[in-house]
Amino acid sequence: MFKEIFLFELKYRLKRPATYLYFLIFFLLPLLAVMTENVRIGATSEKVFKNAPVVIYTYMSILSAFGILVSSAIMGVPVFRDIEYKTNTFFFSFPITEKGYLLGRFLGSFLVLAFTFTSVGFAVMVGSWLAPLFGTVKPEQFGGFNLMHYLAPYFTVLLPNLLLSGAIFFSLVALTRNIFAAYVGNVVLLVGYILTGTLLSNLDNRDLASLLDAFGIRAIGNVTRYWSIPEQNTLTVPLTGMFLYNRLLWIGLSLALLAFTVFRFDFQKFLAVSQSKTKKVKGETNVIARDLASFPQVNRVFSLGLNIRQTFKLAFLEFSNAIKDVYFIAMISAGLIFLFLDAWYADEIYGTASLPVTYLMTEIKNGSFFLLSFIIIIFYTGEMVFRERILRFSNISDAFPVPNWLLYASKFVAIVYVCFLITTIIMFAGITIQTLKGYFNYEFDVYFKELYLLTFPFYVQLAALSFFIQILVNNKFAGYIAIAAFWVTQAGFGLAGYDFNMFFYGSTPSYRYSDMNGYGHFVAPLLSFNLYWLLAGSILLLVGNLFWNRGIEEGFKERLKIAGQRLNTSVKVSLGVLVLAFAGLGSWIYYNTDVLNPHYHVDTVLDAQAEFEKKYSKLARTLQPKIVDVKFFADAFPQERRLVMKTVARITNKWDKPIDTLYMSFGNKLEYLKIDGQELQPIYKDNILYQNQKGEKGGFWWYKLPKTLQPQDTVSFEVKEEIAPQGFANSGFGREILHNGTFTSPSVSFGYPANEVGSDKERKKRGLAEKKYAQPQQNDKWGLGNLLFNDDADYITYEAIVSTSPDQTAISPGYLLRTWEENGRKYFAYKMDSEMDMFFNIVSARYAITKDVWKGDKGQEVNIEIFHHPKHTYNTDRFVKSVKASMDYFNKNFTPYQYKQMRILEFPRYASFAQSFPNTVPYSESFGWIGDFGDPDDTDYCFYVTAHEVAHQWWGHQVTPSNTCGANQLSESLAEYSALMVLQKEYGKESMQKFLKYSLDRYLGGRAGESKFEETLMQNDSRAYVWYQKGSLVMYALADYIGEDNLNRALKSFLDSAAFRQKAPFATTSEFLPYLKAATPDSLQYFLEDGWEKIALYENRITKASYTKLKDDQYKVKLTFNSKKIYYNGAGEETSKGKGKDYIEIGIFAEDGKNTRKMTVKTPLYIKKHWIGEGNEQILEFTVKGKPSKAGIDPYNKLIDRVPNDNVISVSEE
Amino acid sequence: MELIIRNLSKTYANGVQALKDVNLTIQQGMFGLLGPNGAGKSSLMRTIATLQEADNGDIRLGDIDVLKQKQDVRKVLGYLPQEFGVYPKITAETMLDHIATLKGITHPKERKEIVEGLLQRVNLFSVRKKNLGTYSGGMKQRFGIAQALLGNPKLIIVDEPTAGLDPAERNRFHNLLSEIGENTIVILSTHIVDDVSNLCKDMAIICLGEVLAQGNPVQIVEEMKGKVWKKIIDKKEIDTYRQNCKVISTHLFAGKTQIHVFSDQQPDTSFESAETDLEDVYFSTISQKVDTITI
Repeated sequence: MFKEIFLFELKYRLKRPATYLYFLIFFLLPLLAVMTENVRIGATSEKVFKNAPVVIYTYMSILSAFGILVSSAIMGVPVFRDIEYKTNTFFFSFPITEKGYLLGRFLGSFLVLAFTFTSVGFAVMVGSWLAPLFGTVKPEQFGGFNLMHYLAPYFTVLLPNLLLSGAIFFSLVALTRNIFAAYVGNVVLLVGYILTGTLLSNLDNRDLASLLDAFGIRAIGNVTRYWSIPEQNTLTVPLTGMFLYNRLLWIGLSLALLAFTVFRFDFQKFLAVSQSKTKKVKGETNVIARDLASFPQVNRVFSLGLNIRQTFKLAFLEFSNAIKDVYFIAMISAGLIFLFLDAWYADEIYGTASLPVTYLMTEIKNGSFFLLSFIIIIFYTGEMVFRERILRFSNISDAFPVPNWLLYASKFVAIVYVCFLITTIIMFAGITIQTLKGYFNYEFDVYFKELYLLTFPFYVQLAALSFFIQILVNNKFAGYIAIAAFWVTQAGFGLAGYDFNMFFYGSTPSYRYSDMNGYGHFVAPLLSFNLYWLLAGSILLLVGNLFWNRGIEEGFKERLKIAGQRLNTSVKVSLGVLVLAFAGLGSWIYYNTDVLNPHYHVDTVLDAQAEFEKKYSKLARTLQPKIVDVKFFADAFPQERRLVMKTVARITNKWDKPIDTLYMSFGNKLEYLKIDGQELQPIYKDNILYQNQKGEKGGFWWYKLPKTLQPQDTVSFEVKEEIAPQGFANSGFGREILHNGTFTSPSVSFGYPANEVGSDKERKKRGLAEKKYAQPQQNDKWGLGNLLFNDDADYITYEAIVSTSPDQTAISPGYLLRTWEENGRKYFAYKMDSEMDMFFNIVSARYAITKDVWKGDKGQEVNIEIFHHPKHTYNTDRFVKSVKASMDYFNKNFTPYQYKQMRILEFPRYASFAQSFPNTVPYSESFGWIGDFGDPDDTDYCFYVTAHEVAHQWWGHQVTPSNTCGANQLSESLAEYSALMVLQKEYGKESMQKFLKYSLDRYLGGRAGESKFEETLMQNDSRAYVWYQKGSLVMYALADYIGEDNLNRALKSFLDSAAFRQKAPFATTSEFLPYLKAATPDSLQYFLEDGWEKIALYENRITKASYTKLKDDQYKVKLTFNSKKIYYNGAGEETSKGKGKDYIEIGIFAEDGKNTRKMTVKTPLYIKKHWIGEGNEQILEFTVKGKPSKAGIDPYNKLIDRVPNDNVISVSEE
Repeated sequence: MELIIRNLSKTYANGVQALKDVNLTIQQGMFGLLGPNGAGKSSLMRTIATLQEADNGDIRLGDIDVLKQKQDVRKVLGYLPQEFGVYPKITAETMLDHIATLKGITHPKERKEIVEGLLQRVNLFSVRKKNLGTYSGGMKQRFGIAQALLGNPKLIIVDEPTAGLDPAERNRFHNLLSEIGENTIVILSTHIVDDVSNLCKDMAIICLGEVLAQGNPVQIVEEMKGKVWKKIIDKKEIDTYRQNCKVISTHLFAGKTQIHVFSDQQPDTSFESAETDLEDVYFSTISQKVDTITI
C-alpha cells in the first residue's frame, strides 16, 4: 500500500510545473550570486574562492532556511490537499493504512523536495564554469571541482534542514489540519536563527547559539570561524563537536516529530475534527413571526460621511478578527520574546551590557524582530485581502451598496492597525526591559519619534506594497511568492552595490539617533524619504483600488476593462495630484542626493581612484615642504552647520633639493591659499577623486610657489577651507559639522594623497599591480623621514583660536589661555607649551565638565577634565579613575607625562572610536558613557579604552614612529599593552582572561578574513587585528613570561632613546625589538621570536584529567594533553611545526571562588609553567592539596591557541 | 418598474459561452428562472447583481443602467447567491446588524427593529447570539435570506435558494418569498420545476446560455395540453422509441420505466394521454438542446 501511495505522490509532484519552478528559483539565486563579482556571501576574504566549500555551506544552509516557503508548498500540502479538496471524506474509506498513507505521502513529497534543492549545488557548479567563460568573474577566484564540496554540505546541512522544516509542515498539518500552525512553527525556527545572532555578541554563548540554531548556520560558523584561507578553500566541515551535536539534536527532533505523527495519526480524527470543534446549535423554537409586509419602511442613508464611518467600523471588525486569531497571537508572542531578549542584551561590548537607554530600546526593532515584523505584515495583508473570498462571504458582500473604496480602504486601515500594534509592542518591550533593569528614564519623545514617526510609516509602506501586489496577483500564495521575490530582488541589487535609496522601495538614508545630537541633520532626509515612500504607497493603493476584485474572478483583460471603468475623474485627479507630489518630492530628493551631494556606484568610485593613481602616483615621493608652526583658526556655526577652518603656518624645505611647486590635496571647499600673504592661483586642478558636480568640494590642485623654496628656506603659508553641507546625501552620516558634537580636523595635505584602491582583486580588474604594503619598508629613507600620523610635518609648535555658538564649548589641543565672547560668539584660545606632532582638531558641543586632579608622587599635577553630554554622568568617575591609574602606572614605569592636562571629550555616536590627540581625547558616545558596569564579572572596557588612549600620549606622542611597515605596532600594540597593565593593576589578574579571550577571537577571526596575507608584528602595516589583538596577546604573555618590571624597563629604555625625536630617522620596530631581546633570557628568545617575527599558533588541548584521593586532603592528579605549535606563512599555509620544548603553563583548580570584588575567579591548587614538547597524549602527574575541580594546559589562554576553549576540562575521580 | 435585459452575451476566458443573446423583460412580482445545471442561470443573476461583467448587451432596471450604474443597483438589491460563506466567529445578530449598516440603515432603533424582526421571521431569533460557524446548512441559508431582505430591496435575486433544504424548510422558504410585496421584482433561479409552478407568475427557461421559453407558467402549460403522452415500457426498448417519437423524459414509476412523448396526436394506442404539467414543458423545451433521457 505504501508503495502505491508513494509512487502516486511522486508522479503527482513531478507532473506539477511548480516543482520545476522552485528548482529554477533556487537555481537562479545562487547562480546569480556566484556569477556576480560584487556579491560575496559566506566569507569575508577575497582570497576565498567563490566556490569554496565554506561558501557552498553558506549557500546551502541559508537557502534551506529561507526555502521554508517551498518546503511549505511541497510538504504542507500532501495531507492538506485531502482536506482542501475534501477528498479525505472518501479517500480514507479505501483499504489503506494510516501509516502507509502518511509515510507514502511524506516520503514521496520529501524526495521531491530533496530533488528541488539539489539546484543549489548545481547552480554553484554551473556558475563556477560559466562565470569565467563570460568573464563576469576572473577564473582565479574559483577553485577546482571537488564533488565532496557539494555532497558534504548537501547531506549534512541541506537535507537535515529540509527534513526539519518538512517534518514540521507535514506533521502539524496532519495533526492540526491547519496549515497556518505549520507556518508559525517554521517562522519561529527562522527567527530563532536570527535571534541566536544576539547571543553571539557574548563569546560565552557561542556554543549555546550553535546548538539552538536549527539550521546549523551558527554551528558551521563556530567551527569555521578561525579557518585560514587555504582551509576555507579546501576543507569540508568535519562532523564533530558542536556541529555534530547540532545535527544530531535537530535530526533527532525531526524524526521524533515524524514518528509521533505516524503513531498519532488517525483517519477518524482527521475527519472528525470539524465536527467536534464546532458544535452545531439546535433547537429553534417557533415564534410567531411578523408578516414581512408589516415591517417598517426604513430610512436608508448613503453618504460619504457614513461611508467613512463604515470604513473604520469595518476596519476594526477586520482587525479584531485578525488579533483574535490564535496564530496571530502566537506570532506576536514570539515577537515579544525576541524583543525582550534583544532589549535585554542590547549593545553588549566585550560581554558587558549597556544601560537600557531609550534609543537602544528603539533599535531592537532592527534585530530579530525585523524579519518577523515583515512576515506578520505580509501574511496578514494576504489574509485580509482574501478573507471574504476564502470564506465565500464575498458572494454576498460584494453586492452590498457600498463603494469599492470602502471595502478596500477598510482592509488597508485594518492592516495599518496591525502596523500600529506591532509598532507599539516594540515600545512595550522597551519600557518593560527598562523597568526590569531598574532604569526609569523613559524618554517618550524618543520612543514617539523613532517608532511612530519613522518605523510606523515604514511598516505602512511595506503594507501598501504587499497589498498592491496581492491585489494585482490576485492569488494569495502566488502573491506571497511575488512579494518575497520583490524583496529578494531588491536585496540583490543592494548586494551588487546599487544603493541609491530613492530607487529602492522603502529605503532611506542611514541615520543614527544620538543623545548628544538627537536626530540632528537627519530630520530633513528622513521626513522627505518617509513622505516620498508614503506617496509611492498611496499611488500603489489608488491603482490597486482600480484592480480590486469585486464579484466573480475575472481574467486580466476583464480586470483591465473594469479598472478602466473605475478610472473616473476624481480618481484621475487624485492620481494626478499624488503622482505630481511624488515626482516633485522625488526631484527634490534627487537634487539633494545626487546633484548637491553626488552619489556614485562603488565601482565608479573605484574606477576614479584607480584612474587617479595611474595619473598621479608618480608624484608620490615628490619633495614637499614641512610645516613647523601652526596657528589654527576655526569658527564653528553649529546651527547653520558651517565650519570655517584657517590654518596659518610656517613651512620649511627640510630636504636637500629646492621645491618650486606645492601639490595640495583637500576634501573640503578650498577658499584660498596664500604664501607670504599673497593669494595663489592653481596652475593645475583635478577634482576626480572628491568631485561633486559643481567642483566646489575637494580636489588635487597644484600651485607654483612665487619663489622657489631652497633647502632650509621658510615661508608663511595660509589656507582656508569651509565645510557647509548642502541639503542631504544618499548615505553617510556627514558628521563633520553638527548641531551638537562637531569633531573635525582640517583636510589639506601636501603631496600625492595615497588614497589608493586597497583590494588586489579590484586593482587587477583596473590594470593596477598588486599592492602588498601601504607603507614604505623599514630601510626606506623616505618612510624613515616621515612621521606615522602625518607626513606634512615633523614636530610643530601649536596655537589655536576656535569659536562656536555661545551655548557650546570649543576645544582644540593645548592649554586654554583665555575665553571671551564677541559678536554673540564664544572664543577659546589654546596654546601648546611644547612641540608636538601635527595632529589637531576642533571639537564643539554643549558640555558639562567633570574635573579632577592627578597628583604624582614627585609632586606633579595633571588636570583631568571630562567633557561630557550633561545627561551622561553614569561613568564619568570611571574615566577619571582610569586617567589617574594610567598616570600612576605610566609615570612610574615609563617616562614622565609631557603635559599638565588630560581631557576627554564625548562626541556623537556616528563613529565609535576614541582618538588620542596631544593631551586631548575625543571619545565616542557609544563606547562607555552608557556602559553598565554593575556586574563585577564584566569587563570595564570604559576603563580599558581610556587607559589605551592615555597610553598613546606615550606611544604615539612621545615616541612618534616613522611611516614604515611595523610602525603601527609601536603606537597601537604598545598602547594596548600599557592599557592591559593598568587594567590588570586595577582589576586583578583574574579579569584579564575574559578580556583577552575577545582579543584572541578577533585575531583569529581577522586572519580568517584576510584578503592579502598576514604579517608579523615586526612588519604589519595595515591590519588592525594584528596591531591591536595579536599585539595585546603577545605583549601580555611576554610580560607574564619575562616579568612585567623587566619588560617595562625595556620599554622605558626605548622611550628614553626615542621619545621626542625631532629628526629622521624616526622610530621603527627594528629599532625597538632589540630592547625586548635584551630583556629576554636566552631560554625564552624563541617566544619573543614567535610573537614578533613569526606567525605561530598553538594547538593545546587537555584530553583527560583524573584524580585519586590520598590522605589528608591530598590528591594525586593525572593530566593527559596534546601540545602542538604550527608556523604559518602569510597566506595561512602551514610551513613547519614547532621543534623542541615550549614553556607552557599547567594548572589545577579547585571550585571557582569569588575575589574581593566579588568577581568569579579560578582558584589554582597548582599553577606553573613546564617545558613541554610536541605530541599527543602526554601525561603529567601532580599531587595537590585540596579537591581538584578543573585542570588544563595554558588554562588562562595566554598563548595564541587555535581552539582556545578546549584547554580546560573537569577533573573526575579515577 | 421593470427589468429589461437586451442582447446580453458573455463568454468566459476558457471559451465557455455562458450567455447567448439573452433578452428578457421581468415585471414586478416573482419571476422564475428555470434551467438545468450549467445553463447560465447563475451567470445571468450575477450579471444583474453587478458582480460580473457582460461582453455586450444592456440591462435596465427602471431608469438604472445596471451594467454601468452598479452602485445604484446595489442600493435597491437584495441578493442571495447559490453558495456563500459567513464569518464563523461572529453571531448572527451582530453580522446582520453590521450588514444593515452597510445597506444604509443608519438609525439604530430602526435597525434593531428590522434585524430582530427578520431574525424572527426566518426563525433564527432564539439562536441569534450563536456564532454563525455553528449553524447548520438550513440555518445558514435562512440567514442568507434575512440579509437579502434587509433594507426593503426593490430587486431581489435568489439563486437556487432551496437546494439542500429539507421539505419543511423549503415550504417555509416558499411562504416567506410569497410574502414579498407585489411591487418588488423577485428573480428566483432554480432547477426544481415545482418551485416555479408553486410560486411564479412569470418565468423563463434557460439552457446553455439561451432563453428557450418565456411566459406565464399556466399559459405555457396550457399551450402544451393534450400533446404529451405517456407509456410504460421495457428499459431495453427505449432506443426504438427515441427513434420513432419525440421522447421528452423518462421516469421510474413503481420500478418500471415510463416515458413521456411529445406529439400533436396520439402516437399509437399503447400511449395514454398524460396530464401535462410544467415539468413536461421544461423537459420538452430543454430537450431541444440537451439530452434529457436518463436510463
